[in-house]
Amino acid sequence: MLARLLLRRPCASHIQYRFLHAGRAGREDPRWPGYEVVIGIETHAQLKSRQKLFSHALTSGPKEQPNANVSVFDAAFPGTLPKLNPKCVDLGLRASIALNCDIQKRSSFDRKHYFYSDLPTGFQITQQYAPLAKNGSLDVYLPDQPTPATVRIKQLQLEQDTAKSTFIGRTLASLVDLNRAGTGLMEIVTEPDLRSPEEAGAYVRALQAILRAVGASDGNMEEGSLRCDVNVSVNRAGEPWGTRCEIKNLNSVRFMQAAITSEIRRHIDILTSPNPIVSQETRGFDENTFETFKLRSKEDAPDYRYMPDPNLGTLVLSEERIATIKRTLPELPWETRRRLLSSYGFPEKQVDTLMKLDSVKDVPLDGETSTIQGPIQYFDALCEGTKRDSKAVYNWMMHELLGQLTSRKQDFQSNTLTVQQLAELIDLVQGKILTGTSAKYLMRHMLSNPSNQPTKQVAEEQQLLSPEQTQEVKGASLVNDLEGVIQNAMESMPKEVAALKAGHMGVLNKIVGRVMKESRGRADAKSVKEVIERVVSTTP
Amino acid sequence: MHRTARRVATRLARHCTQDYSTRQAVLEKNAQINAFVHIGPEPGPSSTPKTGPLADLKIAVKDNIATTDSPTTCSSAMLKSFTSPFEATVVQRLREDGADVVGKTNCDEFGMGSLNIYSVHGPTLNPFDPSERRSAGGSSGGSAAAVAMGACDAALGTDTGGSIRLPASYCGVVGFKPSYGFVSRWGVVSYADSLDCVGVLGADVPVVSRVFERISAFDTKDPTSAEPELRQLASAYTKQRLQSMTRLEGLKVGIPQEFFPAELSRPVLDRFRSVLRVLKERGVRLIPVSLPSSSYSLSAYYVLASAEASSNMARYDGIEYGERRPPSSATDLRSVASVYAQTRSAGLGPEVQRRILLGTYALTSDAFDNYFLQAQRVRQLVKNDFDAVFSLPNVRNEGVEDDPSAEGVDVLLHPSAIGSAPSLSSGPNPSSALDAYVQDLLTVPASLAGLPALSVPCPSPAPGEGNGDDGWPIGFSLIGQWGTDSLVLAVGEAISSAMR
Repeated sequence: MLARLLLRRPCASHIQYRFLHAGRAGREDPRWPGYEVVIGIETHAQLKSRQKLFSHALTSGPKEQPNANVSVFDAAFPGTLPKLNPKCVDLGLRASIALNCDIQKRSSFDRKHYFYSDLPTGFQITQQYAPLAKNGSLDVYLPDQPTPATVRIKQLQLEQDTAKSTFIGRTLASLVDLNRAGTGLMEIVTEPDLRSPEEAGAYVRALQAILRAVGASDGNMEEGSLRCDVNVSVNRAGEPWGTRCEIKNLNSVRFMQAAITSEIRRHIDILTSPNPIVSQETRGFDENTFETFKLRSKEDAPDYRYMPDPNLGTLVLSEERIATIKRTLPELPWETRRRLLSSYGFPEKQVDTLMKLDSVKDVPLDGETSTIQGPIQYFDALCEGTKRDSKAVYNWMMHELLGQLTSRKQDFQSNTLTVQQLAELIDLVQGKILTGTSAKYLMRHMLSNPSNQPTKQVAEEQQLLSPEQTQEVKGASLVNDLEGVIQNAMESMPKEVAALKAGHMGVLNKIVGRVMKESRGRADAKSVKEVIERVVSTTP
Repeated sequence: MHRTARRVATRLARHCTQDYSTRQAVLEKNAQINAFVHIGPEPGPSSTPKTGPLADLKIAVKDNIATTDSPTTCSSAMLKSFTSPFEATVVQRLREDGADVVGKTNCDEFGMGSLNIYSVHGPTLNPFDPSERRSAGGSSGGSAAAVAMGACDAALGTDTGGSIRLPASYCGVVGFKPSYGFVSRWGVVSYADSLDCVGVLGADVPVVSRVFERISAFDTKDPTSAEPELRQLASAYTKQRLQSMTRLEGLKVGIPQEFFPAELSRPVLDRFRSVLRVLKERGVRLIPVSLPSSSYSLSAYYVLASAEASSNMARYDGIEYGERRPPSSATDLRSVASVYAQTRSAGLGPEVQRRILLGTYALTSDAFDNYFLQAQRVRQLVKNDFDAVFSLPNVRNEGVEDDPSAEGVDVLLHPSAIGSAPSLSSGPNPSSALDAYVQDLLTVPASLAGLPALSVPCPSPAPGEGNGDDGWPIGFSLIGQWGTDSLVLAVGEAISSAMR
């Protein structure tokens, strides 16, 4: 199967190029020859705002105490009214601009009605009739294809998240947590432009990266701040599109791809059966069996009785507000990538490593500029000016610093070494004032003892500066110091010294190692070796 | 003739001799009228004497307006023991201004009704002559009756389709529904948000004006609250017009021909004519006008108000607050809707249920275009009709730079109701439920357009006159352009004093 897939791949991609410009035509997939797949995705992404969409209550993380952040409005008390949070609108606008959407100067809110314990008012406020933004697009890159697939974004709308209700089967009771009730969501709907489970996965990853980059959402699928509903239809090649089925509430890219694959196979099984009629359904995904299951048929679809919200009126956006958002939009992922490639001349692999590291940084609330620098900002700051070699910076940051953090079981976000400190450290090494070994030791010391002290000062305190530098600074002879250290080392290793004297040169490195350790790396291994050899040869 | 004389005597006696200076007296009288559903404690002598612009006023508050020191039941079994954790902006403002909040007044459940008969606390009796057991009107019947029985100087009510003006007309008091958005709705329990207005009822126009001026203010907690700039713009037009007017001389009053339907009773027409005669004598220009879309108002109103009501009532499920009926053994606990149905069937009264069903239907995808959207179109036409007859521009319309037109009228004048207070003894039955909707025929156009409207009592017929007139109160209503509330109140006061 794998061999066949590899063999066919070039041919399949070739077909795709030909049709790319004629819209997203179906393509032959070796997993289901003779069939074409059409996929559209609706994504719900929680807005990374400090307060909820229509109330002053704070938004909550997944670890919050249940019902801690609830206002009278969130609990649907009589006499309460919504108040649109402008920060949520701004975050929605950032996402809309990043997705190349037409911002709607006038949009409005509607009520979607249904009775469920996660909905205290009995309706969800959404933007059914006039969404915030329309007609966008997102370029999605697949690893095996040199040109991107352009996915059209139908619309982006703001809406309320629901509460969390947990049904306890044993007691037949529901537990309701209103922390999430009324949190702002963006619903981002694509046109049916995706053609394979892998494209769908790549689209969601690209969307996540964009939303995170502009600060609109942290896009965290594991914590439920990004959820997907997927529409899938299958048709025989050359025939009209098949009947679509919707798979609800997929909360990881892996599950989404598995759900689509399972759904495609189910459709093909039906299409090849004696009664080849796929019925329009809403389906769920079983994470244990990796199969989809029926939730309800089209006939059972609820009537949501949409009604314009009589309190919120029209959301009018000024040209000026949109322009301000555009002007202050953070750098988008593809812009960052392009900049890293061109201004530092890195190979793609290194850029990808840096971007991957950057992608897990915290997204600040309300689109504020973070006080904590992300890895790329950190890197940019280290390279600022032209004096530092970007490749050396990359090595010190991505190999040494990251390596030491990893061995300390820390991630980059908990790094305490400031840009100034690391910059100085790199400069000391490049100026040969600090040996590489000493610098590594110094970094370990500074990570264990975080401070704002300049690196050079710490290095002096730790007596790590190279001999010439120490002599300059202190006017004392390190050579004497060094000989003392060597003397001590040799005295504490009489057996090794005896072996060395007997001609076993192999133990030399062991003694050098001891000296290096004692001198905390500030000595030069080569000269240590020479001194030891001299001492051994000159003593009886 | 004998009956009328007796009634006038009763009224006089009531106003002269009855003393409501103590809560105890209010309590005793209320036992018969049922205007109050909660009476607050006597403001103790220990408490610091009240100061502020309203310190001399006793004010009652309709029971669909949230107060923290007493329940807010909305006259519904659903909220019979519900006390709001926060106070309505209007009540807060009254208290800050030193007013004595007497208690909470009876109303139709959630404001839905025109006769104050759909109340878990029982109907409010019209105090004009309690022995006749007539309706105080609705839905703010308790507020109108509280003022009419003299238990307070003024009362807050809410008006969605006539709920202040109708009871004011039936009880013989002044009732004012301000421009939509002038008074904050934060803490006012929603019936139909796009129509709901908080207003004031009082014995005369000056007291109503005093209270209105204190509660009319921009509130950031209400997204539909009129912005200060709009208020200023409207107020500038109003001031300009008021300055150019000396009392009633030169006032242009429009008489809308559509407001005299077949259902209008003869005595109402006679009394309305007597008002017109007085106005003519005072140099008022009476101008017949037409508001052609008004005839569709009632249908449009019931579609829109019911649709919004069905949405707003969805929150009463017994989970977060309010009464809850535990599911019966036959209930499928896995179906949330069937669990809620137990509580909602038990806790919501017949009229509320009727409007929920009506509104739910109007919002279904099959009916939405033909009912809800159609009603919205009618609403726009009704607004346009009003804008076409007023001389002052509607500052809420975008790009208004119009100068006041020389053609238009200052205010519109029409009877407040089709008749005097109906009797309570007939009781509600399915066919009269629809008849009751006709009560709102004359009041809903101003509601749909969000315009300020004031009901003022017509003078009683002189002895010997008033063919077929039962002598019960009947009001006339003034409607003004949006934001010209002070003009409407000034004209109302000028007409009242001209008739004295």
